[in-house]
Amino acid sequence: MAKFINYRNIDFKINSQNFYSSQINLSASASVDAVVLSDGSLLNYAPSSAVVGSLDCDFYLTGSLPSFLNVTGIDESAVSVSFADVTITGAYPKSISFNVEPFQPILISASFDWYGNVKVEGFKEQGVLKRLRKETPEYIANAYKSYLDKESIFGSSGQDGSSGGAGQAVDTLGDIVSFSYSSSCDRPSFFNVDEVIPSRVAKLNKQCEINLSSNNLGKLVSINGKNATTTIYLKDFYGTSLSSFQVSGVLSNQSYNVSNGQYLLAEASIQQTVTERKTLV
Amino acid sequence: MSYLLSGLNIQNISEYDYTQSYNKYDIIDFQLNAEKSIYPSYTGLGGTGLLFWFNNEYIESFDLDLNNNIISWKNKYAIIEDEDQQYANLLQLSDETLRPFVNFNNNYIELFEDQFLSGSGFDCPEKTIFICFNASSNQDNNSVQNIFRFDREDGWAESNFGTGPSGYLRIKGKDSLGESKIIIDEQEFNAICPIYDTLNIITLIQESGTSGPSGPVITIRQNGKELGNYYDYYSGWLSGFIKLGDTNNSNGVKYYDMFCFSGVLSESELDSYEKYLFEEYFDSDGLYFAKKDVPAGFSKSPLGYTGSDYWTRNIDDLFKLSYGSSAEFSAKLSKSNFGDGYQSNISRNINSLNSVFSLNYDGLTDAQAKCLITYFENTPEAKVKSLYEGFSGVSMNLFQPYKKNAELYFLDIDHSTPYNNINNISIKAESLYDSNLDYRGMLVQLDDLNIRTYSDDLEGFEYNDVVYVESIFFSERGYYYYTGAKTNGVISENNGPLGNDSHFTKEFYFKQDVDYSIPEQIRLVNIDYESSTKEYLKDGINYNNLEFNLSFSNRSNKEARALLKFFDDKAGFKIFRYTLPQPYNKEIDVYCPEWSHTYNFYNNNDIRVKFTQFKAKSLEFTNFNTKIDFVSI
Repeated sequence: MAKFINYRNIDFKINSQNFYSSQINLSASASVDAVVLSDGSLLNYAPSSAVVGSLDCDFYLTGSLPSFLNVTGIDESAVSVSFADVTITGAYPKSISFNVEPFQPILISASFDWYGNVKVEGFKEQGVLKRLRKETPEYIANAYKSYLDKESIFGSSGQDGSSGGAGQAVDTLGDIVSFSYSSSCDRPSFFNVDEVIPSRVAKLNKQCEINLSSNNLGKLVSINGKNATTTIYLKDFYGTSLSSFQVSGVLSNQSYNVSNGQYLLAEASIQQTVTERKTLV
Repeated sequence: MSYLLSGLNIQNISEYDYTQSYNKYDIIDFQLNAEKSIYPSYTGLGGTGLLFWFNNEYIESFDLDLNNNIISWKNKYAIIEDEDQQYANLLQLSDETLRPFVNFNNNYIELFEDQFLSGSGFDCPEKTIFICFNASSNQDNNSVQNIFRFDREDGWAESNFGTGPSGYLRIKGKDSLGESKIIIDEQEFNAICPIYDTLNIITLIQESGTSGPSGPVITIRQNGKELGNYYDYYSGWLSGFIKLGDTNNSNGVKYYDMFCFSGVLSESELDSYEKYLFEEYFDSDGLYFAKKDVPAGFSKSPLGYTGSDYWTRNIDDLFKLSYGSSAEFSAKLSKSNFGDGYQSNISRNINSLNSVFSLNYDGLTDAQAKCLITYFENTPEAKVKSLYEGFSGVSMNLFQPYKKNAELYFLDIDHSTPYNNINNISIKAESLYDSNLDYRGMLVQLDDLNIRTYSDDLEGFEYNDVVYVESIFFSERGYYYYTGAKTNGVISENNGPLGNDSHFTKEFYFKQDVDYSIPEQIRLVNIDYESSTKEYLKDGINYNNLEFNLSFSNRSNKEARALLKFFDDKAGFKIFRYTLPQPYNKEIDVYCPEWSHTYNFYNNNDIRVKFTQFKAKSLEFTNFNTKIDFVSI
């Protein structure tokens, strides 16, 4: 009979730090090519790249987001991830995202690439005592007090990135209904010969994006979009500040949706390509 | 700035400063010091004050006996005004058996054990002595090696004072920081650079104490760095007799250069003359690359005791190759066509392969890329291989299955940056000195690790294992390829390479990819009748000779090693049998003048080969595969 391992309050750690996770997915894939010989026989399956693992998880934000999860920063180092007696030492964060919906706790989604060995046959039933003794977090980020700073989003002059000028009406945002944030990057891996674990997992194409819904988005975008700078403040239910995320980019998509019996709802996305100036070497 | 730096296309490389710390992949130009090198007898600055100078620059520097043993080593500095002192010689004295031999191929003389050269007339109360030498290590670390001494005359001090007051320069101790000592008289100074089996410049500044310091003092410097002061030195230092050698070292001390100025030189003069010795004899100047973070301190300098822990010129200490590295081989043949499809191929020389490697270094940071590009640009500054050759190539480990001690000449570099702080570099390099006379192979070598020498007790075989079989019979000798089942034990004699039911083969047994194309062109002669038609005639016999390319894609490292060893062994011109695939299925003679290999990933290799059909009987005497053992008698 099949044995199912039951988990509650998943013990999930990143770099030895507890995260209160609601779900974790772990997968791995190998790239292989069949080698077929001239006599029609199959020689073997040859690896064309390393085994690349994928790890996706959702967790509640119970404090400030640690720097090692800043996927658009310059730190390329690996983090160690452990859950359910499984430990991966070579995990590389590549995206985080969250939605802020009215009165909802904020769940962070993070995804990682991972390389190297992972022992997956050692899954064990979660200890009851261990589960019961697990500390409960003091703070959990909640949409109730969290907000996006809409006042300064288009700057004080209401510039739209293309013209602006004196006498122009100030561009403003209406009441924000909900918003989401995501930051991501690609993690290309580089290997030394005779090795199957990468010597470097770099970062490129670093992006941040905010999607927001509001009852008004001000003026329509021009060909250059609208320069937009804003900060998301995440707080717990009682207003304790936990973390903030700044995006300084361009509002490029803007839509107004009106349907019978519904309110007018405008949606927009602010995108930022994250760069850093080269350090002179 | 060193001329080296001005020749590079890279900015922000500075001359080494031991008071600074450096980061991994930093590059320095090591020049000992920032002063200009000055020849000791250079008079452009006025009188030199040069008291004596002994070096090995010219044969005229020596008086020799009939056995090329040194009667005298002449003082290079001629004192014109005083004919008697023009050649104040250092002479080997009474015992002719102790005379040192001079080897004109070397720029030093070597004195063993109790060999010595001595002479008089070098007295000066204040002087600055420079000596460049290389002392061999001794098994007994505590034994003291004499470098030279001053005295009133030979044996005078021994007869009058026992242990002094000769003025001695000596070395002793285990060759490590804190244990090796440079000794003046009885005063020990901790050496800051290795003292054995490497060149050293020792500078002694002898002051009488009549001016400046409060008493007689000798300041000692090793390779330009002051070690300390020694007060109240023995009276021998004031005398004019010098004894060079009597080293107490059976392995010998090499003397390169020694000169002395009267009086005390300035700091810049000291630097300049030390720089002269450094540039003349050392091979340590030029660029170094930090293989880890370097703290400040002289002992971390390239000449210092721990310098080799931090600085390197070995590319393997800095970078590892990436997948995608590849190699291309083509044989350098003199081909003769005899008609009727017959031909002969003669290897032009013993380096019969043109071997070009494409060395990939991917995913480098900007600092790593700067380091590698600088390394590439600086390769022509390597020391000259010999009087008859150009500069040395880069010694490095190649990727599998090629040899680990390859010497490559870097030719081209291709640098691309797909994103900020990500750099991909590919270097094209050529290997020149791989001889087809080497029975171990040219680039895929018998190493007794991956390719083993066969013996009856050799254990463990897998499909595609390669072994070398030694035999007095040429037909039996050579490389064999295992085609049997995997076994951990030994192979029975019957199944051995020379057995009747052998599980080994010397033939080409590899199977190419399922997709192949074999073009064929009939060799015809045509007569073109003007304004009419053509007439085709067959060009003698053997008009259907084939020339085709085959692919062996995604092959394991073991199969790639066997394949590439097979072609390496054939050296681009040796003939072997090959069975054409379906629908031909005929066994023909071919040779493989060109092939290429790309290391895609672990256990994933692409090999492309070109086979040319050879219409003549395979004669084994076309192989030159003699193993020559050199033995000392």
